[in-house]
Amino acid sequence: MDGLIIGLDLCDAYTRICCHDREKSWSIPTVICKKKDEEAWYIGEEAYAYTLVGEGIIVDKLIKMVRKDGTATLGGTKYEGLDLLKLFLKKIIKLPMEEFFCEEIKELVITMQKVDTKLMDALMYCADSLGIEREKVHIISHTESFVYYVLSQKKEVWGNQVGVFDLSEDSFHYHELKVQRGLRKMMVIAEHEALEESFNLDILDTPSGGKLADKILSSCADRLLQKKLFSSVFLTGKGFERHDWAKDSMKVLCSRKKVYMEPELFARGAAFKGMDYLQDNSAYPFICICDGHLHSTVSLRVLHKERESQLVVAAAGDNWYEAKSSVDLIVDKQDYVEFMVTPMDPKQKRLVKIGLEGFPNRPDRTTRLGISFGFLDERTMAVVLKDKGFGELFPATDTVIRQEVML
Amino acid sequence: MSLILCRQEPVKRPFYFEYLGVRIFSSQELCYVIYNHPLLVLDGFVDESLLEFIREDLDMAFFAAKLEKWQKSGEEEDELLAMILHECDYYSATEVGRFRQQLAAFRRLSQSELLKQKADFLFQKNQYGKAVSIYIRILDMARADRGSDSFTAKVYHNLGAAYARLFLMDKACKAYEKSYDLVNNEEVLKKICHLSQWNPSVTPGERFLSLMTEELKEVCKEERAVANENAGKAKSLLELENLFQKDPIKRFQGAGELVSKWKKEYRNIMS
Repeated sequence: MDGLIIGLDLCDAYTRICCHDREKSWSIPTVICKKKDEEAWYIGEEAYAYTLVGEGIIVDKLIKMVRKDGTATLGGTKYEGLDLLKLFLKKIIKLPMEEFFCEEIKELVITMQKVDTKLMDALMYCADSLGIEREKVHIISHTESFVYYVLSQKKEVWGNQVGVFDLSEDSFHYHELKVQRGLRKMMVIAEHEALEESFNLDILDTPSGGKLADKILSSCADRLLQKKLFSSVFLTGKGFERHDWAKDSMKVLCSRKKVYMEPELFARGAAFKGMDYLQDNSAYPFICICDGHLHSTVSLRVLHKERESQLVVAAAGDNWYEAKSSVDLIVDKQDYVEFMVTPMDPKQKRLVKIGLEGFPNRPDRTTRLGISFGFLDERTMAVVLKDKGFGELFPATDTVIRQEVML
Repeated sequence: MSLILCRQEPVKRPFYFEYLGVRIFSSQELCYVIYNHPLLVLDGFVDESLLEFIREDLDMAFFAAKLEKWQKSGEEEDELLAMILHECDYYSATEVGRFRQQLAAFRRLSQSELLKQKADFLFQKNQYGKAVSIYIRILDMARADRGSDSFTAKVYHNLGAAYARLFLMDKACKAYEKSYDLVNNEEVLKKICHLSQWNPSVTPGERFLSLMTEELKEVCKEERAVANENAGKAKSLLELENLFQKDPIKRFQGAGELVSKWKKEYRNIMS
């Protein structure tokens, strides 16, 4: 294969990277260190090593730093969190490229626990400066990675519900998915829950701490898995790298379902998704409703060839960050634009009207309306309505209406 | 009430519609021009440049070929116009039907009447130069083809009005005089009086000077005063005053835009 399809699980504590169809993977702490007396940067365990011998200054929690527009001063120089993240990504992406003697990245899918616009924009900026084209970079949630990972397995793995416990140094999360077979298309509904019972992984080093952790996990498993029919449960994260502490919980988990350990589940899922981006026809013909995806379909009633039809501008299951579109419409005897928002339950569909206030009065059908849509998150649509006039017959004005619509 | 979905059209070289002095950038604009200006598109509108625009810029090669074939087979030009309206999905079938009827009604008019309607339409659109050339074309026609004296008087009257809008006052006065000679209309006499009052260099013929009573001159004077007052309140003048209230950068930018707009209008009027 000439080019890598990379799945990158980016977390504040650990970052995992793997490539589609390649077994080798890397899991390194999300830290970066600069040598005190020279412009040399190191990441992961190497960064810890230089810091321990007093030769380097280390920075951790890079994601949090970027979210808060934070900075770090290393050797008298102030660095933006974004610049440090860029350096970290450059170093980590180099690992598979050097290992597999490959200089091209075909797809880079970054998966994160929580995805927001700020971080997405920051990662796109990093990709720009690393010379990776934006079209090749995608950012998805852990839940979505989980969906792609699970649906890449044999059908018996996802015949019924599937759960995953993600126990890491700074958090404890549970994700669950269910495949609904519809008449037209399969639908995967995946949800996630940040568990309040998270604990420091250091407690696993003592027998009493291990017992406590075992109790916590089995009570969570009891609560989350009861009364549902599961095909399989996955365990991932640093906390499950060893599982000798989880004897009682394993009994609960393994009862009438298969349990799999997969340390790089999210990175692998991201790589599967990366592979799918390269296909003309998706190997996953389903609508995915999960974090990072729209839960409602947004459409406009338009006239085309004298027939009324619904023009879908964003469909339930679309990745909200990538769901951007624009369309030109001619306004005929109306001074508003009306969107239909259809959630998963069609009974709850509703109309959202935006008035064309400030638009010039013109004869019918002589106002070309430019409508651009984008999403600020999975529940907020940003709409921009622009007066494009009607050529030189009715020149455009600079009238623009910007509105956010809650879905 | 609806929103019409627009075709994506890669227009690089817009089609120039000379009669209105505008460039056309889309199939919708093309339809609008055809539908709303039937008199201007009746003859010779579907030519090679329009076909090229449809083929290359509107990306409707198949339709352009169809039009070309119909044109070569000697089909009526009206049918070609209706085909364009139908194909571009901007007007409904009912509206296209109405357009066909309108064209048929125009075709029933005599040549001189059709030309006058066209010239009057151009006059309404402030295209005075083009209107003048059509009025002259009518007046150059043989008397039998031209129509009655009353019709010719109307043509002279409208020609006078068009000349006046072009600030060609002597020619305007002569056209009005010819109109009056044909039908002795008092309103035309009043216009001659207005012209001479407004522009003292314009001297109507002796006969007209004697026809202009003191009373008529007084009425014209009063009307001119009212017109002057109304002109002072014109929206365009208000906009100009607002422009001069703005800061120097915006004023300069606004003045530049206004001057280029005036230039364009002036070129259209004169051409």
